[in-house]
Amino acid sequence: MSNALNDSETKQTTEGTDTQPTSTTTAGETEERVREAWTDYDFAGDPKLSVEDLNVWYGDDHALKDVSMAIPENSVTALIGPSGCGKSTYLRCLNRMNDRIKAARIDGSVELDGTEIYDPNANLVELRKRIGMVFQSPNPFPKSIRENISYGPRKHGDIEKGLLARLFGRDDTAEEDELVERSLKQAALWDEVNDRLDDNALGLSGGQQQRLCIARCLAVDPEVILMDEPASALDPIATSKIEDLVEELSEEYTVVIVTHNMQQAARISDQTAVFLTGGELVEYDDTDKIFENPESQRVEDYITGKFG
Amino acid sequence: MSEGYATETTLVNAESNVYDRGLDAAIGLSVLTFALGMVTLVDAVPLSASGAALGESLGLILAVVVGGVGIVGVSSWANVTPVESQRVRGIALGLVVSTLGLTVLAYAVPVTLATLLGLTLVVEAVAVAVAGVASRVETVDTSPNTSAGLLAGVVFGALGLTLGAAIGGSLVGFDSPAWVAVALGAGLVLSALTVLPREDVGSTIPAALVVGTLGLTIATAVVGVGWQWNPQSLSGGFTGGAVIPIFVLVGAILSSWSAAKCRAGFGARGREFGAFLVINLNVFLMVAVMATIVVFVTVKGVGYALHGFTIGALSALVLLAPLLVVVVNAARTPAGTDDWHTGARQLFRLLPLAAVGSVAAVLLSVLVTGDRLAYPFTYSVQVNRAQQSLDTAIAVTPEPTVGSLLLVAPALLLSVYFFRTYGSLRNVGSRVGWAETIRQTLPLAVAGTVALTGLFLLVGPRPLGLPLGGTLGVAVVVLAAVAAVVLAALPLAGVLAGEGTLADRAQDRATLFTLGVFGSLALLTSALFLQATATVTPSVGPVNVVPGVALAGAVAASAATALVAYAKRQSGETLQRRLLGEEIALGLTGVAGFLTLLGLHVAVTKVSFTVLGVSVANAGTLSWPMTMQTYIPLGTEPGGILPAVVGTVWLVTGATLFAVPLGVGAAVFLTEYAEQGRFTALVEIATNALWSTPSIVFGLFGAAFLIPRLGGDESLLAGMLVLGFMLLPLVLITSREAVKSVPDEYRDASAALGVSQWETIKSVVLPAAMPGVITGVILGVGRIAGETAPLILVLGSTLNATESAQVLDGFRFTAQPPFVANDALLSASASLPTQVWAVIAAGVSGSPSMGWASAFVLLLVVLTFYAVGITARTYFRRKLTHE
Repeated sequence: MSNALNDSETKQTTEGTDTQPTSTTTAGETEERVREAWTDYDFAGDPKLSVEDLNVWYGDDHALKDVSMAIPENSVTALIGPSGCGKSTYLRCLNRMNDRIKAARIDGSVELDGTEIYDPNANLVELRKRIGMVFQSPNPFPKSIRENISYGPRKHGDIEKGLLARLFGRDDTAEEDELVERSLKQAALWDEVNDRLDDNALGLSGGQQQRLCIARCLAVDPEVILMDEPASALDPIATSKIEDLVEELSEEYTVVIVTHNMQQAARISDQTAVFLTGGELVEYDDTDKIFENPESQRVEDYITGKFG
Repeated sequence: MSEGYATETTLVNAESNVYDRGLDAAIGLSVLTFALGMVTLVDAVPLSASGAALGESLGLILAVVVGGVGIVGVSSWANVTPVESQRVRGIALGLVVSTLGLTVLAYAVPVTLATLLGLTLVVEAVAVAVAGVASRVETVDTSPNTSAGLLAGVVFGALGLTLGAAIGGSLVGFDSPAWVAVALGAGLVLSALTVLPREDVGSTIPAALVVGTLGLTIATAVVGVGWQWNPQSLSGGFTGGAVIPIFVLVGAILSSWSAAKCRAGFGARGREFGAFLVINLNVFLMVAVMATIVVFVTVKGVGYALHGFTIGALSALVLLAPLLVVVVNAARTPAGTDDWHTGARQLFRLLPLAAVGSVAAVLLSVLVTGDRLAYPFTYSVQVNRAQQSLDTAIAVTPEPTVGSLLLVAPALLLSVYFFRTYGSLRNVGSRVGWAETIRQTLPLAVAGTVALTGLFLLVGPRPLGLPLGGTLGVAVVVLAAVAAVVLAALPLAGVLAGEGTLADRAQDRATLFTLGVFGSLALLTSALFLQATATVTPSVGPVNVVPGVALAGAVAASAATALVAYAKRQSGETLQRRLLGEEIALGLTGVAGFLTLLGLHVAVTKVSFTVLGVSVANAGTLSWPMTMQTYIPLGTEPGGILPAVVGTVWLVTGATLFAVPLGVGAAVFLTEYAEQGRFTALVEIATNALWSTPSIVFGLFGAAFLIPRLGGDESLLAGMLVLGFMLLPLVLITSREAVKSVPDEYRDASAALGVSQWETIKSVVLPAAMPGVITGVILGVGRIAGETAPLILVLGSTLNATESAQVLDGFRFTAQPPFVANDALLSASASLPTQVWAVIAAGVSGSPSMGWASAFVLLLVVLTFYAVGITARTYFRRKLTHE
């Protein structure tokens, strides 16, 4: 009952900002004030990624509107919002995964440590080595656990193995073993799989597969890890393991995580960005602030469950 | 459902009563009748056979049945494939009893097979009717429904209509319309009899009537072997030879269905069991129909193709051993599935096992009776322009001799297999990989050999003036051998001498077991090598020491294994069972290892070894068929078709090497790189059009375009290219589908790691698409291997070639470009399809039976390529799923 009520309210608000500025002037003004408030959001620490006026279109669909936000180093930034609000699109812009979608058009600027990643001459291989990604559903390769971990480094030439490598006097088998062990330990998976590294990764459980994907991502030694709802396909126990892992990772890495689960965002993130329908970033602040005292009424409605 | 019929049913019926056993026998008899019907359908046993001739044929079938049932029974006893179901046991027993009965009957009473089959049907009809009535008057406990159902009514109505028409027609003649009335009457009566009474009567009496009528018709020779009916409206006619098998098959299916329903007590379970049997028999019928082409070509060509092929029954038995392991493995109970033993799954798991058992039983019967099993046939051949009729045969001889190499190969395979099983049992669960096995065993073997040979070379034949070749050599070898036999006897002594239950004793002596088997094997191996290097063959009396020890070791190991197997059967505890399983695998490893050593000894020393009339020798147990030779012009024997086989193999290999990389490359480009749009659509249309282009057009293209550019003559290379062009579109189409079906998640994951697209394709997409790609190649190779039309135009029609194309030897390096030349590739060659075409259709030299033999060999070649493809696909699938 209350849902229906709130739905109509939201609709009104959304329409208000987009098409009928006259009828809901106050709402528009409030939004403006809110925007002012958080645009100046000054987090502790140095920015790792800074995004300026990012717009994304899928064909005619304007999926992301004028998003500007900076992401601090060695912290967890959560992106929350209802389905279809553009948070995944935003995440995929950070390592240019949207380039793989032919219909996508991207406009704006994303800087990694002050370097523009949308520069026409940007090195995608280097970029994606530095910004790793973990996907919504676990997607290990149909290879052994060991091969899954060493896949990235081998392709980048950091690990060379096999007949030819030995012929040239280089055999990184020991390095590979060490890398596999380190990555799996970092991903809290080592104890569960150390006796079956040569088994196929598809034989692992869903939660183990997802941690394997995280380990695979860590193996290429990234600086930033993007996570697209990494626990949405997992049971509560597997989810809590992933959450613990994210918190640990944030000591060394910059983690950006998209989630549907607001408790999860509140538990693990340092700052939270709220996207609402239409692809706009409504509020971005310290997680405590967002969940206890948000500036925007819409964000408060969303967080308290009156909307979305 | 209705109150009067409600009976009390128990949850578990562990005991079977007389009624059940009778029905089991009836089902067994029906299955046997069905099998005999199939046998007569393909004319393997003539319907008019009687007396001793029939008895012999039935005796062979008896051997098949007993072997199949026996091996399943033994493996069930050993708990490898436990068969708990009373029904399955009963039917198997029924099958054995009825085959035995029929065989005895054939010897005792001089009736023809047709009469015998007719009488069998009558017996089945009576059995089914009695069972139905017994259930109706409630002497037995069943739970029938109120009616057998409309579907059964319709089926029996149709059967009645057909039977009535046939009977009415022959009674009053088809000229008078009265036969229509008879037909309709029979149909209606049968239909009513099925639908109206209670299920137990409705599904037995009509079936008994139909089966009985069919049986009587055959038994009384109303439709006899010589019977013929030529309707005026048809140009052809029906003969007894074709009609009787069909009657028998229909009758057998009906009676087995009905008996199965009775056996399971009607109701839902009865329908389930009945349907299960009918569906299975139907499947066999379908498979038989589909296999007819293969069987026909085989029957026509196998004799000539295998002409001169002789193998000793014992050698064949030895070759069967690894196969036995494979089928036992396939039939074994998978862990955690309780219900696997019910229904079709059990049947299909056990069938291969039963088949191997059957073949083994037939071979054993050859060995025991001392009768040669020969497939005789005659063929005519032109010798000096005169037709001559020649007799020949392929034969399984009762020779109790095994070729030493024939013994070594299977025994080695088995020992590696059992060693792996042993390893996997020890390391609970994780199976030792092939690579790991080789890595563990190979260095040991190599090091042992090198050490021994080196030692011998270092010491020389006369160390310290002592002649090692003489006394010392003999002494060392004998000592090692004696130590080996003592070691081998250890486990046996340990199991026999200890106290407690057999299982406990076996388990307590596990160390002795390991020590005995491996120690003895190692000692004997060194003795064997020492013997060869010292050139001594020490013997005690008539017995050669080393092979004697090998044999004694094998006997000791198998005795210990049998004891442990018995103990394992008695033991209920899971852990103990697993531990005993370890010992069994170890013992079997030992048996296979000792047999390998025995074979190796004979192969190396060339001294044959005989014990109890069974001998292991170097040669003389196998002679190759004549097809594997080249053509001998103007000889009394026409020679073989090896050059054509070689030609076809090269053609297919060349075409595959040409088409697969191109096709897969194009598929990758079109799916991964090219923008999906007009261009890809156009390519797709063009590919499909190319795939449906007639093969003769490809041939013309090759003749007019390729040949002038390839030296002007018809050549093997032109043939390869033309077949490659034909293969290309199919490989492209299937590879595209396979690449498309690789999930995008893999590509995303790889891209997110910063891996380039080409690397992703190479290491993730292509391996995942491999099974699909191989499927396409298999289909394509099947098509091009048998392609005739284009080959006639581009390959040249070298018939009855006396020389095979020497492609590998043909490569020459030249001083001028293109630096490599190969005359064999640029000259005409023979091929199987053109050979078949020329000999059979065009009547060019050679005899038709040679053409059929070529066709049969072609079939074999294609099936071999198919098998290679399937193996490759399975390998890649495995790699993708559980490695």
